[in-house]
Amino acid sequence: MTTEAILQTGSALIAVWAKETLTPEPNRLDAIIEPDDLLAAVTALRDAHWGYLSTITGVDLGVEAGEFELLYHFCAGAAILTLRVRIPRDQPVVTSIYSVIPSVSFYERELIEMFGITIEGTPNTDRLFLPDDWPQGVYPMRKDFNPADA
Amino acid sequence: MPTTPTQENDVFRIPIGPQHPALKEPGHFEFTVDGEVVTAATLRLGYVHRGIEKGTEGRNWIQSLYLLERVCGICSHVHATAYCLGVEKLAGVEAPPRAQAIRVLVAELERIHSHMLWLGVAAHEAGFDMLFMYSWRDRETVMNLLEGITGNRVNYSANQLGGVKCDIDGEQADDIRVGLDFLEGRIKHYLDVVSQDTMFLRRTRGIGVMTREDCERMGIVGPTARASGVELDLRVHAPYAAYPEHPVNLVTATAGDLEARFIVRVNELFESIRLIREILDDLPEGDLSVRVPRRIPAGETISRVEAPRGELFYYIKSNRSDMADRVKVRTPTLPNMASVLEIAVGHQLADIPMILTGIDPCFSCNDRMVAINDPSRGEQAWTWEQLRQYGIEYYR
Amino acid sequence: MSAIAALLIFPGGVFLLLVGMIYEWIDRKLVARFQNRMGPRWFQPLADTIKLLAKEEVVPDGVDARLFFTLPVIALAGAMTAALYVPLVGFEASYSFSGDLIVTVYMLSLLTLGTGLAGANTLNRFSLIGATRTLTQLFSYEAPFLLALLGPAIVADSWQIGEITDYAGDHVWLLVTQPIGFLVALIGLMGKLELPPFDAPEAETEIVAGALTEYSGRGLALFHLGKGVELVIGLTLVAAFYLGGVTHPLIFVAKTLALLSILAGLQALMTRLRIDQTVGLWWRYGALLVLAQFLALIVWEGVM
Repeated sequence: MTTEAILQTGSALIAVWAKETLTPEPNRLDAIIEPDDLLAAVTALRDAHWGYLSTITGVDLGVEAGEFELLYHFCAGAAILTLRVRIPRDQPVVTSIYSVIPSVSFYERELIEMFGITIEGTPNTDRLFLPDDWPQGVYPMRKDFNPADA
Repeated sequence: MPTTPTQENDVFRIPIGPQHPALKEPGHFEFTVDGEVVTAATLRLGYVHRGIEKGTEGRNWIQSLYLLERVCGICSHVHATAYCLGVEKLAGVEAPPRAQAIRVLVAELERIHSHMLWLGVAAHEAGFDMLFMYSWRDRETVMNLLEGITGNRVNYSANQLGGVKCDIDGEQADDIRVGLDFLEGRIKHYLDVVSQDTMFLRRTRGIGVMTREDCERMGIVGPTARASGVELDLRVHAPYAAYPEHPVNLVTATAGDLEARFIVRVNELFESIRLIREILDDLPEGDLSVRVPRRIPAGETISRVEAPRGELFYYIKSNRSDMADRVKVRTPTLPNMASVLEIAVGHQLADIPMILTGIDPCFSCNDRMVAINDPSRGEQAWTWEQLRQYGIEYYR
Repeated sequence: MSAIAALLIFPGGVFLLLVGMIYEWIDRKLVARFQNRMGPRWFQPLADTIKLLAKEEVVPDGVDARLFFTLPVIALAGAMTAALYVPLVGFEASYSFSGDLIVTVYMLSLLTLGTGLAGANTLNRFSLIGATRTLTQLFSYEAPFLLALLGPAIVADSWQIGEITDYAGDHVWLLVTQPIGFLVALIGLMGKLELPPFDAPEAETEIVAGALTEYSGRGLALFHLGKGVELVIGLTLVAAFYLGGVTHPLIFVAKTLALLSILAGLQALMTRLRIDQTVGLWWRYGALLVLAQFLALIVWEGVM
């Protein structure tokens, strides 16, 4: 199956929830979805055995934009399907997909400690990378965190 | 005051790490055991977290290259390659064919170096020091080759944005060929050892089995997944750099146990040697690099390369400045680490170091950091010659 | 007087400890050369011992301090007492009585027992697991090892080491007539000394240093010395029983060194066995084989 065909299969699986789809590069497909639809879309991909979850990227769009963007990258061969979810910066809450893909635990823990995002329903919220004496409420990957101040 | 092990709800927990002879890098595992059998496992990382991802946000594109190359000491070249390929894609330039071929050549030498290192470590975990000592001795060959090409035994710094820094002339090519002939003979021997030595097979056959379904469910990548029959190798399925011109044969096994992981990795060494010879015979002529603008156009890209341990994932976002807006690194060890916690349960404590090593973990990669050399501490800088003399004197 | 001299200086005491160190060095050097390493310098075991003796001994919290200090002494004393009944480096044993073979074997076990108890005495988890493994291993090789040494005793019709070695010297090497006993004795010795592949009780990649993890300084030095002494006694017993009795000291030392190089080769060649595999190996194969040979010997003696 060609990369385009694989991407089309994936696109069809999540078409119901995708508000908009983009093709930034030939082997990529980005689907913008609502946070509430995340679990359903991931379940659809998992049930169809479409690729595997490669990682979750957290992006701080900045204080002015007031939003975080979470990118759930699914890979199948050369094809990469990204579910893009935007959540408000002042109330960063997103549903865990642990119930569907248990191996996501590490990525979710990383989001919790690095961005201060609340992941609802993930079983383990312990620190993974940051030291035990790292101050509470300081999230190093946010744009307003300056390493020089720390 | 140490707690009596039996006080904690009658659970006997064995801590492995952060400092432990089985771990060459720091990580903290806690295995709950019932007699000798493991019943639960937890993991704590971050002992070598250096904040590299954050570090890239305050540095320009070229500085970040040197930072990212130091994510890992063993597979530094693949990190630089993934980053360079990504940035070049964003900038809309493409490195010349000769540069791409040299990138692949160094990457394959690095794979040989990494896999031989792993072979030694894994043998040591099983208490088979003979294989450990010999494979590390032979690894010196490939490290010398890398030093001949790039000037460094680790952190080769072969890449630059838009190409590579080092060229390969006829003499170096001959050196590499001689080194590879020697290594090929040795690796054949190691294949015999890991697939035939009955004592060693007692420790690897049928241990730590992962089925193909397990691997796909947990998102396992690299040789660990290929040992369970998952057909996933980015060099084959999403070829980058010079891999389209020099196709790779997929190496897989079906058993999914430790023995299969040994066999897959050793067989990959043969494939790497074949590939290096092919590239040396057919090295394209031309420039080593093209110019890359200082400011990279806005956009985001995903760059994936096959590190020795599996899929290395880079997400790079630019907002049209001379600095990256976000660089996300997902190293192959992180998804593979999840598998350790799962398959450890039900195994003997004695098998744990082997299972852990079976995925070829790299904690530095996982943690991604920066050790900043503090000039105020006034550490004395030694020249290479001074170090060498010191070594000779010391062991006289 | 001569008894005290024998105990403290020659062939027991100082001399025995030095021989133990030399044998340990030869073993380490051979393994290192087999593994393509340089290996330690000739005085390394001595230097290690002096260093350890000079070091502070850290007593961890929660241990019984008296046991912590006495166990290494008991272990070393056991091994050195055993040496009194053994024809060390080809010299006549200092003491002898009928049945000293059994005493010797049990004295040798004191070291292992001491190690196990030392591990169980601490709260360290690695030590506790190491202690369990040490004692488990003790029960797996002890019976086969004893049976392997009783084989020569049966044919010599005596349980006195001196008489057995005399018999062994007068007849064809027992290695030829009792090959299984020889093998089991030699491999049992590796188990006793926790040499690879039987080093699961101190497998560093799992449980650091096993039962002795909490030991430093004097205690550790005494345990190490005890190991060296046990190595000498074990090699002496096997050589005297199976390789033609006690002969000229130089020839006898050459025989023990030959055995030592076999041990070193086996250590280098093999992968560590898991503790369950060790136990399985001894009871499924070692014990049954040597028992079969033992019964055959008894029947043979009866028929003759």
